[in-house]
Amino acid sequence: MAKLIELKGLSKSFDGEKVLNAIDLYIRDGEFITLLGPSGCGKTTMLRIIGGFETADEGRLLFEGTDIGHVPAYKRHINTVFQKYALFPHLNVYENIAFPLRLKKVKEDDIQQRVTDMLKMVALSGFENKSVSTLSGGQQQRVAIARALISHPRVLLLDEPLGALDLKLRKDMQNELKTIQKAIGITFIYVTHDQEEALSMSDTVVVMADGEIQQIGTPTDIYNEPKNAFVADFIGESNIVDGIMLEDKKVKFSSHIFDCVDGGFAKNEAVDVVVRPEDVDVVEPSRGMLTGQVTSVTFKGVHYEIIVDIGGFKWMIQSTDYVAPDAYIGLYIEPDAIHIMKKSKYSGKFGDYSSFSDELDRLSDAELAEEF
Amino acid sequence: MQQLDIPKKKPSFMRTIAAAPHIVWAVMFIVLPLIVVVWYAFTDAEGHVSFENIAGLSDYADTFLLSLELSVIATFVCLLIGYPLAYMMARAPKHRQKFLVMLLMLPMWTNLLIRTYSIMAILDDGGFLNTLLGTDLHIIGTKGAVIFGMVYDFLPYMVLPIYTCISKIDRHMWEAAEDLGCTPFQVIRKVILPLSTSGVVSGVTMVLVPSISTFYISQKLGGGTFELIGDTIERQFVSGALNTGAAISFIMMLLILLSLAIMNRFTDADEGGVIV
Amino acid sequence: MKKHLSRIYMCLIFGILYIPILTLILFSFNATNSTAVFTGFSFRWYAELFASPDTFLALSNTLILAICSATLSTVIGTAACEGIYRMRRLPAKLLNSVTNIPMMNPDIVTGMSMMLCFVAFVGVLQIDYEQFGFFAMLIAHTTFCLPYVILSVMPRRNELGKTYSEAAMDLGCTPLQSFFKVELPNLMPGILSGFVMAFTLSLDDFVISYFVGSSSFQTLPLLIYSMTKKKVKPDMYALSTLIIVTVFLLLLLSNIRSSKKLRKGGGRS
Repeated sequence: MAKLIELKGLSKSFDGEKVLNAIDLYIRDGEFITLLGPSGCGKTTMLRIIGGFETADEGRLLFEGTDIGHVPAYKRHINTVFQKYALFPHLNVYENIAFPLRLKKVKEDDIQQRVTDMLKMVALSGFENKSVSTLSGGQQQRVAIARALISHPRVLLLDEPLGALDLKLRKDMQNELKTIQKAIGITFIYVTHDQEEALSMSDTVVVMADGEIQQIGTPTDIYNEPKNAFVADFIGESNIVDGIMLEDKKVKFSSHIFDCVDGGFAKNEAVDVVVRPEDVDVVEPSRGMLTGQVTSVTFKGVHYEIIVDIGGFKWMIQSTDYVAPDAYIGLYIEPDAIHIMKKSKYSGKFGDYSSFSDELDRLSDAELAEEF
Repeated sequence: MQQLDIPKKKPSFMRTIAAAPHIVWAVMFIVLPLIVVVWYAFTDAEGHVSFENIAGLSDYADTFLLSLELSVIATFVCLLIGYPLAYMMARAPKHRQKFLVMLLMLPMWTNLLIRTYSIMAILDDGGFLNTLLGTDLHIIGTKGAVIFGMVYDFLPYMVLPIYTCISKIDRHMWEAAEDLGCTPFQVIRKVILPLSTSGVVSGVTMVLVPSISTFYISQKLGGGTFELIGDTIERQFVSGALNTGAAISFIMMLLILLSLAIMNRFTDADEGGVIV
Repeated sequence: MKKHLSRIYMCLIFGILYIPILTLILFSFNATNSTAVFTGFSFRWYAELFASPDTFLALSNTLILAICSATLSTVIGTAACEGIYRMRRLPAKLLNSVTNIPMMNPDIVTGMSMMLCFVAFVGVLQIDYEQFGFFAMLIAHTTFCLPYVILSVMPRRNELGKTYSEAAMDLGCTPLQSFFKVELPNLMPGILSGFVMAFTLSLDDFVISYFVGSSSFQTLPLLIYSMTKKKVKPDMYALSTLIIVTVFLLLLLSNIRSSKKLRKGGGRS
C-alpha cells in the first residue's frame, strides 16, 4: 500500500504549551489507523491538523507527496466525523447527507441515487425526512458517517465517534465501522482513548502520550511487544518490574534469573520487564520461580483476579482456578511470556498493583471520558 | 421572542399559590388595561357605544402607511448593516468579543431621548455638521433623517440578538460545513444564515416595533413635517381625545401582535433569540 | 485582507454609533450656549445643572422609582416562577403569554392602556390623579419589568428541577424552609440579573412614564424630554453626559466582575 498522508516533524503549541512534538508518521492508502492515547496526548490536535482545522507551527503535512499544510479544509479530500456529530439542525436527514453534493451542483437524480445508496449502507433507509434532532445517538452517528462519505473522500477522520454511545451500541458500531471501511476501501483515521476499541478495529495503532508517538504497530505487536512502560500499561494489564539483562535471553528480576526470548541489550543493562497477568501460572510454592502471599482475590466471571505480594511488589495474576486469600502460592512464567523493554522516562511509573482497586480504575476511566 | 420551556408537572397546590400575586397583578394591570383600551375605542366621549372612532381611522390610513414605510426601510437597513457586524463580532477572538459587546451596549443603555437629540443637534441646519463642513445642508425634516434616526437608535437591538445567536452556534458546525466542501462564503449562506434565523427574527421585531410606534424621533428629526402614527396617538393624548387615541392604539396592537404571530411561525420560537 | 476589511467595517459602524454621543459630551463642556460651535472649555453648564433643584428632585425620584419597581417586580416575578414551574403546562403557557404582552406591545400602546386604566381607577376611587402619581408610575414600571425578571429567573428554575427541594424536605425542611434555604440561594444569579435588568429598564423608560406620569412625579427621562421641548441649553448635555458616564461605569464594573468570575471558574486550559 502506498503512502497517502505523511507527517514530517509536525509540532503544535497552544498558549506556549507543546501539544505535538515533532511528529513523524505516514499513513498508507486504505488502512484503518487509530491514534490512541489518554486525554491531552495530542491525538485530537493531530487529527484536526490533518482535517485542516488547525495549522501546525512547524513541520510539513503531505498528501500524496504534496504539501497541504495551508490548503483550507473545504479543498481537502479528507472528511471528518465530528465527536458531537455536528449535524445541521436546519436540515433533515436527507438534506444533511445531500449537503456536500448540493455544493458541487450534482444533478438531482444523481443526488437521490447516491443518498439512497448511502442510507442503505448505514442501515437508515426510510429515515430521509426525519429531523436530525429526533434521532437517537447511534442514528445521528450513522447520518454523520453517511454525510462524510457521500462525496467519496480519500480519507475519513473520526474523532472519538463512539464516545457518546452506550457499551452495547459501541460494540455494534465498532463492527459496522470496520465493515464500512472494508467495503469502500478508503483510509480511516480514528481517534480514541479506548484501548479495546483500538485493538479490535485497527490495522495500525499509533500510541501517543505527551504529544509524542510512543509506538506504531499492529494491534498484536502493540500488545505483545510494547516498547515502553507507558504502552505496556496503557494497553491491557501489565506487571512491570525492574530487571537486569544479564546476557541475551537471561534476565534477572525479583531476585530470580529467568530465561526469556529477547536479546540485543548491553551486558547487565537495567531494563523494564513486562509480564501480562494472564501469562502467569499459579503453582505450588515449592515449584514456583517466585513465591508470595495472596492479598486479594476478585471474581471476574471468566477468571479470578489475584493480587500477590512478592517481596513488597504487588503482582496481578489472572487465573481460572480459585486460590484463597492469604495463601502462599508459587508463580511460574514461561520464557516467551517475558517481554523486555528499554528503560524510558515512564519507567517506575506504571505496572505496580499495590494501590490497585477496580473502583479507582473505573473512576479514572470515567474522568477521562468526561473530558471529551 | 423567547418561549419558556415549561416541563410537564403535576400541580402541587402549596407551590402553585406562589404565582398568585403575579396572576392578580397580570389581570389587574395587563389584561384590564387592554380591556379598557377596547372599551374606550368603542365608546364616545360620553361613554356611549360607538363605532365612530374605528370608522374614523380611515383618515389616518396615510399616516399608518408612512409609519410602515419608514420603519420597514429602517429595519431593513438595520439588518443589512447589523448582520455583518454581528457576524464579525461573533468571529472575533473571545477576549475581544466581550469588549465589542460592551461597546454595543453603551449606546443601547444611553437614553433614547439623549441619542436622538444629539443626532438632531449634529444634523440641524445650523448644527455641528454644517458648521464643521461650512455647508448649508438641509437634512432635518427629510424622510432620510427620520430613517437615519431609527437606524441609529435601534441598530444595537438588531445586532445583539443576531450576535448571541451566531456565537451560540457550535464551532463544529462551521468546521463540518467547511469539511464537507463549503467555501467560507458558502458556510455563511448555507449554514450560519439558516441557523441564525431566530436571531434575525427577534432582531427584526426589536427594531420594527419601536420604530413603527416612535413619536420622539419623528418629532425631533422630522422637524414637524412628518406625522407618524406614534405622533398621532401622542397628539390625541395631549389634546385629551382619548377615545380616538385608544382606537388607534387598539388597531396598532392588533397589527403588531398579528405580524409577530406570523413571524414566529417561520422560526422555532423555543431556540435562540435572547432579549436583552 | 479579510481581517482588515472586517476591522474597517466594525470601526466605521462603531464610529458612527459613537459620534453623536461624543459630540454631546464635547459640547457639555462648551463655554457658550451653542451646541454647534465649540468656543472654549468650561464647567459652566455642570455648575448650572447642579444649582437647579429640579435635577436633584428628578434624580432622586428616578432612583426611588427604579429601586421600588425593581424590588417589587423581582419579588413577584421570582415567586411567580416557582408557581409557574409547578403549574400544569397549559395554564403556565397562558400565563406566560399574558405576562409577555408588555414586552411585545409597543411602549406607546402599553402606556396608553395603563393611563386609561388608571384614569378609570381614579374615577372610581374618587382621588386626585396628581396624588396617585408615584403609585401609577410604580405599577406601570413593575408591570413592564415583570416579564424580564421572569425571563431571567425561569430558565434557572427549570434547570434546578425538583430534586433539591425533595432532598431538602427529605432531610426535614418544610416546603417554605426548603424554598428559602435551598432553592432561593440557587436561583440567586438569575434573580440578581433580573433585578439589575428591571432596575435599568425603569431608569431608562420614557414613553410609558410619559403617558402614565403626572407633573407631581418627574423622573430624569421626563425632565430631559421637557428640556428638549424648548431651545436646548448645554445643561441638558451636561446631564446626559453624567448619565452616559454612569452607565459606562456600571457596564465596566459588571464586565470586570464577570470576567473575574470567568477566570476563577475556568480551571482547564
